[in-house]
Amino acid sequence: MWLIYGIISGEIPWSQGLANVIYACSTCGNCIENCRFEKFNDFLVDMIEAARVEAVNSGFCPERQKALLERTINPEKYNPYDEPNSDNEHLKKKYNLPDEAEWVYFIGCTSNYRQKNLRDATLRFLKKANINFTLIDEHCCCSPIIRTGQISPVKDFINYNITQINNTGAKKVITSCAGCYRTLKKDWIKFGADYGFEIYHTVELVKELLDEEKLKFKSEYNKILTYHDPCHIGRHMGLYEVPRDVYKQIPGINFVEMKRNKENAWCCGAGGGVKIGYPDWALEISKERLEEAKETGATVISSVCPFCRTNLQDSNDKFNINLEVIDLIEILDGLDFEITEKS
Amino acid sequence: MDKEKILKDLENIVGKDFVSNKAEDLYIYSQDPGASLPRPVDFVVMPSTVGEIQNLVRSANEHKIPLVPLGGGLTLSGLVIPVKGGIVVDMKRMNKIIEINELSKYALIESGVTSGQLLSHLNENFPNLQPPVPDAPPSATIAGNVLIHGSGYLSQKYGDHGAMINGLEVVLPDGKVCKLGSCAVSKFWFARGPIPDLIGLFISSFGTMGIITKLSIQLFDKPKFREVVFGLLNDPKDIPNILLKITETGLAEDVLLGKQDKPDWMKGYVFVIAYVTGESQEEIDSHIKSFKRVYRKAKARYMKTPDRIRTAYLEKPIFAATAADFRKGGGFEYVGANMPLENIPEAYKRGAEISKKYGIIPTLGSRLIGGTHNIVMFFSYSFNRADPKDMENARNALHETNKLALELGGIPWKAELVGQQLILEKMDPNYKKLYNTIRSTLDPNRIMNPGNWEVNK
Ligand SMILES: Cc1cc2nc3c(=O)[nH]c(=O)nc-3n(C[C@H](O)[C@H](O)[C@H](O)COP(=O)(O)OP(=O)(O)OC[C@H]3O[C@@H](n4cnc5c(N)ncnc54)[C@H](O)[C@@H]3O)c2cc1C
Ligand code: SF4
Ligand code: SF4
Repeated sequence: MWLIYGIISGEIPWSQGLANVIYACSTCGNCIENCRFEKFNDFLVDMIEAARVEAVNSGFCPERQKALLERTINPEKYNPYDEPNSDNEHLKKKYNLPDEAEWVYFIGCTSNYRQKNLRDATLRFLKKANINFTLIDEHCCCSPIIRTGQISPVKDFINYNITQINNTGAKKVITSCAGCYRTLKKDWIKFGADYGFEIYHTVELVKELLDEEKLKFKSEYNKILTYHDPCHIGRHMGLYEVPRDVYKQIPGINFVEMKRNKENAWCCGAGGGVKIGYPDWALEISKERLEEAKETGATVISSVCPFCRTNLQDSNDKFNINLEVIDLIEILDGLDFEITEKS
Repeated sequence: MDKEKILKDLENIVGKDFVSNKAEDLYIYSQDPGASLPRPVDFVVMPSTVGEIQNLVRSANEHKIPLVPLGGGLTLSGLVIPVKGGIVVDMKRMNKIIEINELSKYALIESGVTSGQLLSHLNENFPNLQPPVPDAPPSATIAGNVLIHGSGYLSQKYGDHGAMINGLEVVLPDGKVCKLGSCAVSKFWFARGPIPDLIGLFISSFGTMGIITKLSIQLFDKPKFREVVFGLLNDPKDIPNILLKITETGLAEDVLLGKQDKPDWMKGYVFVIAYVTGESQEEIDSHIKSFKRVYRKAKARYMKTPDRIRTAYLEKPIFAATAADFRKGGGFEYVGANMPLENIPEAYKRGAEISKKYGIIPTLGSRLIGGTHNIVMFFSYSFNRADPKDMENARNALHETNKLALELGGIPWKAELVGQQLILEKMDPNYKKLYNTIRSTLDPNRIMNPGNWEVNK
């Protein structure tokens, strides 16, 4: 904050080093929780993101972050992962999805290009749950470029995605990614979007099905599991109990909490452009989380975000921590369950 | 000064990742959250071992460059902003809690351990013990606090935090490591003596005598119950009487006074804020009864505490920063002055006058240190950091308050540079001479935080 003040007051000029400090924040939001100054604390992450916009405008956006933008706006890609854009038609065919539906599953770039297992598990789950859904030819939700202050194309992307969603007639959009969830629900509104559909995370749908007694587990998951709160679902959106409720209802599960959880959860280290900008550091941050998970006696660390999953897995592999890293939806995909329409 | 060569040396000592001379890093270390003007810094280093610190000291002697030890940097009085440039030695990486001794009741810690860290370590692992911590933000280090005669909610009962030091390990200005206290003789860091007591040399000398690397600090039993009892006094003249009456009972843990015009509910009174502790609720209730009686006899009105206020005051340590920044300008500094009880009423009166003169809302307070042996008086001034004029105004108010404290027989605590000079002006010449002789003997090259406590010949 002092540095940001120094920039605003002109006491310190932009430099690459300064930009690196401003970009080293994973936007985890822990400072918001721990800062004792009400009204001020709400805006801590916003201030960091605003400083990043300044960095971009002043020509000091770090190179790796710049590449993120270039790939995202590339008309062949529209995603930060440098993959050719998937219009998702093959998935629609494979899963026999209609053009118009009640729900749209917004897959998100990380699931679609890096965590396909998570994507497929979600697709299978939605099918099994008899959800009337479809997919769109989605372009990036813009989380990475918003978080890194590169906001010029954001409105176009939002408009495009909203139009695609509206074309399906859907009234609900579901995502399996914490980043997409926050972005669609919070940032799109901030950027002036006015959409008529509701935003769900898959974990909220699962919870609803369980609450309505429509989902009944038929097999057990006999493992000691701890839950990692993704920052963008936890601190950013306040969803702490919903995922816990779902895990705890899985038969056989031994659910344990890490020392730092919920509001005080330690970040996986991937967010805010840190994984791309400072990959080694992102893994160090994850290592601390994994070690904390180990301390609980858990053999499984699970989350509800493909981005957390990626970084936790990478760190687990790099530092030989020997935990199983898995998303909730992948666990559900491996279990037998029955969907009934409650009478 | 060959800065290239110094940088190389520092990199060799602490590793490339832990030394910086980059503008963005130096910017942070060139200022503190108080009203002092920024001053230039040449390097910042973050050592992690005693050996590294020894090498830093040797290197600083070779290059004749100042070293300024820094803990949390939260004194507010510019004590960790170098006066003559040089190297800030940020101790945060030396953050190991080495031992908690439950029998002799002490914590042996490295000097980068923060008050929040020690507090949560004890809460988790030794819930019956509590450490002496200030009401500062939790990133304040225990070392930085005890080394400035800090105080906190245990001070009324047990004295200032400097007095709670059992032992120190210090890297002297020539690079030698020296142990002080019982640890100089015994493997237990349990007491300060009975040997010539040199620990005092390192307290309130603001890093001019060496760099502390380890310390042993006393721990105390945690009571099961604690309650806060508020009283309202109309006239500051009655302060000495009520404080004597309260301490006579022997029942108070912490005793604070407050007189401030904001928040609104505090205006017009001297608040007496006393804490009672006990092993049961009955015990607490009986103490509260005693206090009601004391208050009545001492012309104070007992005030039933609204829950919101009670909760805030029962948090230990109190989160003082929220009260300090009620103006929301992000700037706050206070003159803390150790004062004799007899002049406290006058301090309240004249302190408020100074505040008004400088257009700042009067915010005054005090805490008892060891009964009525010593009262720390707080004259607080908040300001808008974004407004240099407002900051200068606060500096002027602080300066005038330092003078007032000295005039009333008190001594400004953790005094900033000008305050130090005011104290030195009044100091016994032979005290100054002794101090200076010791300092020059230990540190002939004056590498340790020069500019502080500078005795002008
Ligand atoms: C809101 C607020 C409330 C406060 N309330 C209180 C309170 O209730 N009681 C109280 O006592 N104080 C209080 N303070 C003052 C101050 O913050 C604390 O005393 C704090 O503990 C100082 O610790 P620090 O780590 O910040 O020290 P620093 O500012 O880093 O250092 C203090 C001094 O010690 C020296 N030093 C630090 N580490 C070493 C070392 N290893 N070797 C040699 N010298 C060293 C430094 O050079 C400096 O001169 C408050 C401050 C704030 C901002
Ligand atoms: S990394 Fe998290 S705690 Fe740190 S500044 Fe960023 S949002 Fe705040
Ligand atoms: S409490 Fe808030 S304002 Fe203070 S240092 Fe922490 S984050 Fe910053």
